[in-house]
Amino acid sequence: MQGFLLGLTSGTVCLTYCAPVMVPYFLGEGKSVRQNISLLVKFLVGRLSGYLLFGVLAWIFNLLIGKGFALHDLFFGTAYIILAAMLIIYGFFNKRSRCAAETLPGLFRRLSSHSPSLLPLFFGLLTGMNLCPPFLLAFTEASGTSSIGGSLWFFWNFFLGTSLFFFPIPFLGVLRRFEPLQIVGKLAAGILGVYYLYIGTIMTQGGLIQL
Amino acid sequence: MSKTSVAFKQPYPKNSLLKSILLVLPMLFLTAMMLSEGGKIPKNPLHLIPFVTVYIFFNGMFFLMIYTGKTDRYRAILFTTFAVCFVISFISNLIETRGSMALTGEDMISGNTPFCHMVIPMTLIPAALTKTIIFPGSILEGFANVATMFVIWIGVSLVLGRGFCSWGCFFGGLEEGFSRLRRKPILKHIPLKWSYMPYAVLAAVVLTSTLALSPTYCEWLCPFKAVTEFVEITSFQVLVQTIIFVSLFVGLVIVLPILTKRRTQCGLLCPFGAFQSFTNKLNVFEIRIDREKCVDCMLCAKACPTFSLDAKSIAKGRTRLSCTKCGKCVDVCPKNAISFHIKGTPVSSGHDKSRLLFIYPALIFLATFGSGTIKGALHRILLLLTTGGMIQ
Repeated sequence: MQGFLLGLTSGTVCLTYCAPVMVPYFLGEGKSVRQNISLLVKFLVGRLSGYLLFGVLAWIFNLLIGKGFALHDLFFGTAYIILAAMLIIYGFFNKRSRCAAETLPGLFRRLSSHSPSLLPLFFGLLTGMNLCPPFLLAFTEASGTSSIGGSLWFFWNFFLGTSLFFFPIPFLGVLRRFEPLQIVGKLAAGILGVYYLYIGTIMTQGGLIQL
Repeated sequence: MSKTSVAFKQPYPKNSLLKSILLVLPMLFLTAMMLSEGGKIPKNPLHLIPFVTVYIFFNGMFFLMIYTGKTDRYRAILFTTFAVCFVISFISNLIETRGSMALTGEDMISGNTPFCHMVIPMTLIPAALTKTIIFPGSILEGFANVATMFVIWIGVSLVLGRGFCSWGCFFGGLEEGFSRLRRKPILKHIPLKWSYMPYAVLAAVVLTSTLALSPTYCEWLCPFKAVTEFVEITSFQVLVQTIIFVSLFVGLVIVLPILTKRRTQCGLLCPFGAFQSFTNKLNVFEIRIDREKCVDCMLCAKACPTFSLDAKSIAKGRTRLSCTKCGKCVDVCPKNAISFHIKGTPVSSGHDKSRLLFIYPALIFLATFGSGTIKGALHRILLLLTTGGMIQ
């Protein structure tokens, strides 16, 4: 549920920052709602692959750090504070943020000429590995789970939460309202950052007491 | 005359004295019935004086609204008085029944927490998912139970939409009062982006309340706990929560309204207000701008207490979704281009009829919700003056 919640609050951010790259492609390729839905499914499968890959990485990270000693709380508490601070800046103050897919125009062009059907999948994979603060926060949360199943479950829920915002895309009328949605989404992410800042502070304080 | 000239203020159309008196008559009857609870006139002077005062006060303000053609000026007096009296009355009741403003664990377990409208948006999804109300209050018992508040809220939403926030909310009047302390604002420019904050808070609290199955806004953010009731400080977490709500009260209800002359808690934080904004879509009353008369002087946008007017919305001849129908823009417009309006009728006609049709139910609601509270507070003040204490 925690992953789903985090996904819901950062979903609009994912959508609105990756949309400037993604939507023109959808508009250009999809001739009908049905075609757009097919493109969206490929895109979401790509995103899910990216998230699950990070689910495994989060579990490996947890194995390396270990559990049951004060450093665990101290490490994750500090990570929460840093990431929550990033989320607050991202939500309240940052005016422009780049989607991972936007940073690779060369590769994108090559792929679109050789294997166009793979393009939405590739897009999804890149957005699934987008190292934005909500995603990093999700990674830290998942790293706190004790099993690979728990970590993958967390990212699955994160994927579900963020994906809800992508479903209206085939029905492109929603795009006219993007600007307020983007602002509200960013501010909500910032508010959640404040909450995580508190959690991080409490965890760090606990870790320091145990030391 | 140039399009932007506002040199000549057109007088607002007043009603004649006779017409105003005739229009007040139904309200005189209704408020008499309401205050006397069907004809019971109190004998005790400590109850009779507040009874008469409240009766004259409500009807006097209503008469002035009709006679002068101005809405906001008199609404603000009623609204602020209501909020101040609510605080006096509520705190006195709490101290009388519980001995303290602080809520104990036992109070919450026994469901003795009064339910307030702010909680409504947080309870809907958990109620649908779990068939429970995630609030430590009573469903049917007590003076502020969940069922009563829901019924009142549904009724008001249908009749007034977000007008609830300027005609019925017992918290809004506090910042309304503070926002009117200075003649001119010190902080003039607040970026429009922040007016979306209530929607973000709404999203965050609805999601976190669903996850935690507890009203997270009440626990962490509600500034009005500073003047109503709050959880007894027994842990570090409650201490942090108390610091947050006191800071928000001082910042958003006192300091920023004084500096900006706006209702900053309503316009920049309140998730209930954001939620209530959507009910403006269901409601027949709205504020409209006659583009033929408008000279784009932006006085309305500068005056709007809840950031509900901007250049874009004015160009469309409408307010933003967050309009609370306080009537301030209608009062300040130098060209009488802004008016209360009934959806489906022409914008340029029947201004005062639409206004009257709105202020009747709005004032009846304010009187229903506020008269008992004001009466109660006046009774407490009289008790203080005559016996030296507000608690019986």
